[in-house]
This record gives sequence, C-alpha cells and structure tokens, in this order.
Amino acid sequence: MFEKLCALIAEQFGVDADAITKDTAFVDELGADSVDLVDLSMALEEEFGMEEMEEEEISSIVTVGDLYKYMQEHLDL
Amino acid sequence: MKIIVDAMGGDNAPQAPVRGALDAIAEYGVEVVLVGRGEEILEALHKEGVNEVPQGLEITHADQVVEMCDNPATAFKEKKDSSLTVGLNLLKDGTGDAFVSAGSTGALLSAATLMTKRIKGIRRAALAPVVPTGNGGAVLIDCGATAECTPEFLLQFAFMGSYYAERVLGRPEPKVGLLNIGAEPSKGTDLQREAYGLLQKASDEGRINFVGNVEAREAVSGSVDVIVSDGYSGNIFLKTMEGVGIYMAREIKKMFLSSLKTKIAALLVKDGLREFKKKMDSGEVGGTPLMGISHPVIKAHGSSDGYAMKNAIRQAMEYSKSGIIEDITENVEYMRLPVKGLAKKQETDGTAE
Repeated sequence: MFEKLCALIAEQFGVDADAITKDTAFVDELGADSVDLVDLSMALEEEFGMEEMEEEEISSIVTVGDLYKYMQEHLDL
Repeated sequence: MKIIVDAMGGDNAPQAPVRGALDAIAEYGVEVVLVGRGEEILEALHKEGVNEVPQGLEITHADQVVEMCDNPATAFKEKKDSSLTVGLNLLKDGTGDAFVSAGSTGALLSAATLMTKRIKGIRRAALAPVVPTGNGGAVLIDCGATAECTPEFLLQFAFMGSYYAERVLGRPEPKVGLLNIGAEPSKGTDLQREAYGLLQKASDEGRINFVGNVEAREAVSGSVDVIVSDGYSGNIFLKTMEGVGIYMAREIKKMFLSSLKTKIAALLVKDGLREFKKKMDSGEVGGTPLMGISHPVIKAHGSSDGYAMKNAIRQAMEYSKSGIIEDITENVEYMRLPVKGLAKKQETDGTAE
C-alpha cells in the first residue's frame, strides 16, 4: 500500500515517486497547501475507499509517514 | 458540441438558463443539457411558449439546489444531488464539453477545483473576465478566486491569461502587465516584486510577452492585453470599474436630460451611446472562465438574464474549442517553481529509502 500511496502523492504533486519517503513533509518538501491536502484526501477516498477525512485530521498530518499511519488505522487491511 | 448548464443557479433561475439555452441552440446549433429540477425546468419552458423539449435540449434531473447560504467549500459534498454537483459530474464523465453556472461563485470554484480537478501542476484556479479597455478589452486574471497569492500563482495566471488573450481574443503575442502601484520593478509589495522577476524571466525565455508593471489607469486605457493580479486586488479593480461605469452612465443621462438642447444632442448621439453601453455590458461577454481547471467551466454573472446566459454558452463553446487547456497542460512545467525542500533533500540524502 505504501508504494501505491507514494505513486498517488507523486502524481498529485508532480514529483518522482522514488524521492518520497515516510519522512517527506507535505508542506515543507512537497510545497503542499491546504487546497492540495484536501484534494489529496479526496483522491484517497476514491483510490482506497477511505472515509472522508475531517479538516482537523487533514491539518494534523505533516509527513507522508503520518498519512500512512492514519491510513493503516482507518482502513480494513 | 454539448454544453451542460446549471438550470438552478443565479438570481433568475431557472427562467434565464432556459431562455439562454433555447436561444443558444437556435443561434449556434449547440446541444444543451439543462441540469436541475425537472418540473421547474419544464414550467420555465412552458413560460417561453415551448411545450415539448426541443431537439438539441436535454434535461437531467437534480433535486437539490446550492443556495447562497450554503457553505461554499462543502456545498458540493453536502448536496450531492444538486444541479452543481450533478452537472460537474456529467462534465467529468464526458457527457458534455463544458459547464456553465450562474450560481454561487465560491461553491462553483470549490466544486470545480476538487471534483473536476485542476490541471496537474496548476496551484490555483483563476477567474479571468474580459474587462472593457481602450484596446478592445483585456483579460483580468485573477478577479477574486484566490485572494491571497504567491509569486508562483501570479506566474501561472500570466501564462493562462496570455493563452486566453491569444486564443479567444485573437491577440498575437499578448502584452502581459502586472497590476501594481507604479511602473518600476521595485514597486509594490514583496508579492509583486518577486512575481516581477518570475514574469521577466518567462518573458526573456520567450514564453510570454511581459511588458512590466501596469497601473490601473494605464490598464484601463488599453496598454496591455492581460492584467495579472492577485484575486484581492483584481476584485477591487473590477468592482471599481463597474462602479465608475454606473456612476458615469448616471451622470451622462442626467446631463442629457437636463434641457431641451441637451435632449436634442442626446438624440444625435443615440447610436454611439447604445454602442458604448453595449461595450460596458457584462451580459455581452456572458461569463468568466475558471482557468486552470482541467475541463471548461464558465461562471456566468449571478444576475444573468436569458441573453447573458446565451452569451455564456457561446463563451463556453469558444473556450472549449480554443485549446487553452491543452496549452496550459503542455507548458505547465514552465509555470512551476521547483519544490525546493524535496530537491534539497535529494541533493543531500541521495536516493530515497
């Protein structure tokens, strides 16, 4: 699932998927802003069938690792 | 070509969208899908003397309506069966070539950004109306979609506005100006000064024709084809123009009606006045494209009548045919600033884990 997540993030932010690690920070390293993060959360809903993320949940996610952890906790794997 | 029209959006809905659709079908031979409450649309058709759904017109039922009091950021999610959400889903699915709505600007912007999506690499969608200027009109980008901008946003607006001026207004090598409080590169806030450098670089590379900073009065005089601005300043610019236009029209009318002599003078210049009024009428343009969205979306004025809606449909056709979205998609790499953080990390860390 992590590879799939990296591929999605790479597509969203126009970066190389291989350059993304769990430590990659959305704002500081990928240049994401609030619209990008909401957009990403909607893409996750479509791609992984995840439930809609609350605004507070979106804003608490700093790194790709945070998001991956959130997904593990909220998806039936 | 098939245009999807939000039949429930705007002050005069559904009558104005219905009238506009009927006229557009007759005049341009376009197909129109009206999205909204079926019964209300049929009733509006009856009012126009049409008792059967004419050829070229389809109706797609959507039960809900996005109201001005709805939260613009979430309305499309909360009202999944609204004419806005259903219409944009049709656009996304390829049922139509463009979507037109006179409904809430904020709701349309959020829905288009998050449902239809931005062109990959485009940071923000921008509203780009054509404003009346001394050179026959200029593209004002942005006029309120994004109040707070970064220099990168303005760089992207400059490219997108330039494509629009070239493709739709027919201006070869459109002159791009950055709205500012003076002509010198040092003028303005950090935003304008940094954006100036980016626009100059893009111009030096031959990608746009940046002519420097432009003050509001010069822009109105017609010195540029594209006026680049953050949404906050652009909206003030636009509303000031509208206000001055209304004030001038009222004063001229007062002057012409003040005596028998001036009334005769008014008769003599009647045709010229009508022509001038037409130039200033937003209904003539129809609407404003949401530039940067991956499919054509046109925002018509909230107070649009049938005539303005017809023109918005015409504009949707022109925008759809123009190839602007393809232009932006192909050149987006020149409009983006490198993601500094990731680039830096790659340099120091080598490859990823």
